[in-house]
Amino acid sequence: MEKLYGYVGKIARINLTSGEVSIVPTSNYVPKYLGGRGVCNKIFWDEVGPGVKAFDPENKIIFMTGPTTGTGIPTGGRTVIAGISPQCYPEQYTWSGIGGWFGAELKYAGYDGLIIEGKASDRSYIWINDDEISILPADEIWGLYTYETQLKLEEIHGKDVKSLVIGPAGENLLRMAVVASANETAAGKGGFGAVFGSKNLKAITVRGTGTVQPADVDAVLRLRHKMGKPLYYTNPVKIAQAFEGPGMNFPVEEGVKEIRTCCSHGCNQHCPRLFLDVKSATQKSGRTNQVSKCVGPFAIEWVNDCSWVPAQTFATEQNNNPACLMMSGAVVPPDLTDPAVPELFDVHPGDTYNLWEPDYDRGMVINELCSQYGLNKWDIIVWLMPWLAMGKKEGVLDDLDLGMEIDPSSEEFMKHLLEMIVYRKGYYGNLFAEGMARAIRELGKEKYGDTIYQGRFSKRLNGQRLDIPISFEAAWGYSAHWNGRGYQGSIDITAWLPILLELMSSSRDPQPNTHHHDTIEYMREARKDLYHGLAVPKSAIMNEIKAELKEAVTSCDWQLPDVYWPSAEAELFEAATGVKMSEEEMITAAERLKNLFRAILIRNYGRTREMEVNEVLPLHSYPDADGNVLDQKGFDVLVNNYYKLRGWDIKTGWPTRETYEKLGLKDVADELEAIGKLPD
Amino acid sequence: MEKNTPAVNNKKYGRHIVQYPPEVSACVGCNACEIVCALVHEGKTGPMLRRIFLERDTVMLFNHVIYTCQHCVDHPCYDACPKKDAAMCLDEEKGIVYINPEFCIGCKRCIKACPFEPKRINFNKSEKKAVKCDLCRDRENGPACVEFCQVRCIGLSDQPLPPPPPAPPLPEGKPNENDSEQTPSA
Repeated sequence: MEKLYGYVGKIARINLTSGEVSIVPTSNYVPKYLGGRGVCNKIFWDEVGPGVKAFDPENKIIFMTGPTTGTGIPTGGRTVIAGISPQCYPEQYTWSGIGGWFGAELKYAGYDGLIIEGKASDRSYIWINDDEISILPADEIWGLYTYETQLKLEEIHGKDVKSLVIGPAGENLLRMAVVASANETAAGKGGFGAVFGSKNLKAITVRGTGTVQPADVDAVLRLRHKMGKPLYYTNPVKIAQAFEGPGMNFPVEEGVKEIRTCCSHGCNQHCPRLFLDVKSATQKSGRTNQVSKCVGPFAIEWVNDCSWVPAQTFATEQNNNPACLMMSGAVVPPDLTDPAVPELFDVHPGDTYNLWEPDYDRGMVINELCSQYGLNKWDIIVWLMPWLAMGKKEGVLDDLDLGMEIDPSSEEFMKHLLEMIVYRKGYYGNLFAEGMARAIRELGKEKYGDTIYQGRFSKRLNGQRLDIPISFEAAWGYSAHWNGRGYQGSIDITAWLPILLELMSSSRDPQPNTHHHDTIEYMREARKDLYHGLAVPKSAIMNEIKAELKEAVTSCDWQLPDVYWPSAEAELFEAATGVKMSEEEMITAAERLKNLFRAILIRNYGRTREMEVNEVLPLHSYPDADGNVLDQKGFDVLVNNYYKLRGWDIKTGWPTRETYEKLGLKDVADELEAIGKLPD
Repeated sequence: MEKNTPAVNNKKYGRHIVQYPPEVSACVGCNACEIVCALVHEGKTGPMLRRIFLERDTVMLFNHVIYTCQHCVDHPCYDACPKKDAAMCLDEEKGIVYINPEFCIGCKRCIKACPFEPKRINFNKSEKKAVKCDLCRDRENGPACVEFCQVRCIGLSDQPLPPPPPAPPLPEGKPNENDSEQTPSA
């Protein structure tokens, strides 16, 4: 094989039970499985069979970078953690993307990835210093918050090291515990922080002094100027007297001080907001800096749900901006000569919920506590908190003794509750430590999950009250995310329908790496026949393909896909590796990854059509902001068409032998046939 | 021996890369400056290949500090080089102290002589050669770190400050509810 650039050639297998370290050549997996999540899927398929639970030592933490990581390609800082997820309901294989600086440093140390297996006998962390890999006692860092863990590891090993860490939530096996790499940069979905905890693994710290070589430096530099259309504006400290967020605008007496920040190594964008000198519950000074992305602001205020503008999802050639540019506030003004402007900028305001009034300090403290404990904000801010607010208003929480009056709008109550959960204090601490999906089932889903909140009013329908359950569960143990109801509920049906297919065929909330994108022509075409036409399933598949590539190549969901630059992922891959692949060949590779992922779900967890369709129906039986509910008969047709386009059997939802074989997965087909899981 | 160019006359340091204060533009800690520096010089990235040094503020994310060679007018690194004018060289016209890697013997005397902490001269342990900022003296677009800095928080010491970002399309502090609702969320 010709030299592969981009990769550094080795994956370290670290057995925490025996302390053994061995090396697996990356070339066992690439270029066929590209990198990132693609390689994770292949390793998991090969090494973890059915019957393993998330907290068993036999579960593995598979961490992979992509070939672009550390090359200078802007979004290569994205990396992936995969394994059996304790947050998924039921437990199953899933993944979580993470930015930060760890992945590039790991490659500088000489490793494209890590396979961590077994369980350490004592509290430990992994220290990687170029060629030397050690498992060290974690006595000095166990129990620390995530920030303090990072800083302590820098104190021990030097300011230049990079770490993945867990907080107390991971140590105490909270199923929604994250793995954090910096302030608000975390593998949020999946609960992999608890998998770390189950293995007595507090952190992985790395120093790498080596190099990463892309195949084509000129191409890398061109991509830096092209990807996400960076504007090269300055980033001065901005001081305002009001907080502005999605649907939010209220005065803050002491002022709001912020800049923009960057969340992964080598990125050419600065999407997240960094709020400076905000109230802290964990710092001696009482002040801290806090990054805010999407869910964070909703801890500050939730009068209205998140709004949506079609231009976030649908593009024309004249108005085509990546999410990062929109989030950074640096987006250029709309091109008003575009005839599609009325459609693109038809604001869908969020439904009115009146859950809590604005409180900048409370919101920042809750955000900080989630980051410091190492909690997934999606489980806390947009599921637990609204559930408490809605459940209380509907009188269904009267029997719950949480030690204080239930009031998610109270900073003191939320501090009390989070501490109770993170340290598993008492019955309710233990209950909510299992995550919302399990807690609500334990309490009784009919009452505690399905009770209708009477306070949802649609601005799209002139204030009409619409049903919504007090629990925003979407599927697989995750909360709603651009599903047309629940948090971020105002998205249009032309967007939430393909998102529904993406959710159905996944094992978690897929939106963090699959924020839906398409052209305005798609939106128009989909409207003609939402359920029977092919526009919706084709759009779902296109986005799933792009999502596979994003987390394999790797790149960032906030930059790609660009629907008017379909060869972007191939260009990134070639610039990094030197391997020229056509757009079609990249699509085939992505299909390979998706079908291998599906084979894992089928072999290990018995995934069928019936299972996944039933999983997504409940939330979608409630109206969206326009009053639409899912047409279940139409959805059957939609699923049929989606499966047919994917080459999957419409009865079982299983890929056919022909599908596997054309993707180079004959061995997978053979194994599934042997256990009766190929369609007849 | 006077080596000053007109641009740096009567200064202790020559023309060099400076980091602006956050009131002008806050560094976002992306490392692009280090990365493109290594790419344009070596075709690779990595800590030992950078000629500009970013110390990230891991948790608070605000005080990222960028260290650069100041191209000292008295150039102690040049004076310490046993192969001066072959390995460590002076571009007198541009006021640049630079290394010609072909003749560097990897003795590290230049690094020891650098008066700054942290040192502004790096060491490529693979090639056993010192590497330092040369202000991309042969590069048509000038220093790559400046060209690719996404927030223009670094620049050349003799250049004017970058302009503030343009005003947003709509006025800030707007009371109109619909305006704020256009702020997207991911």
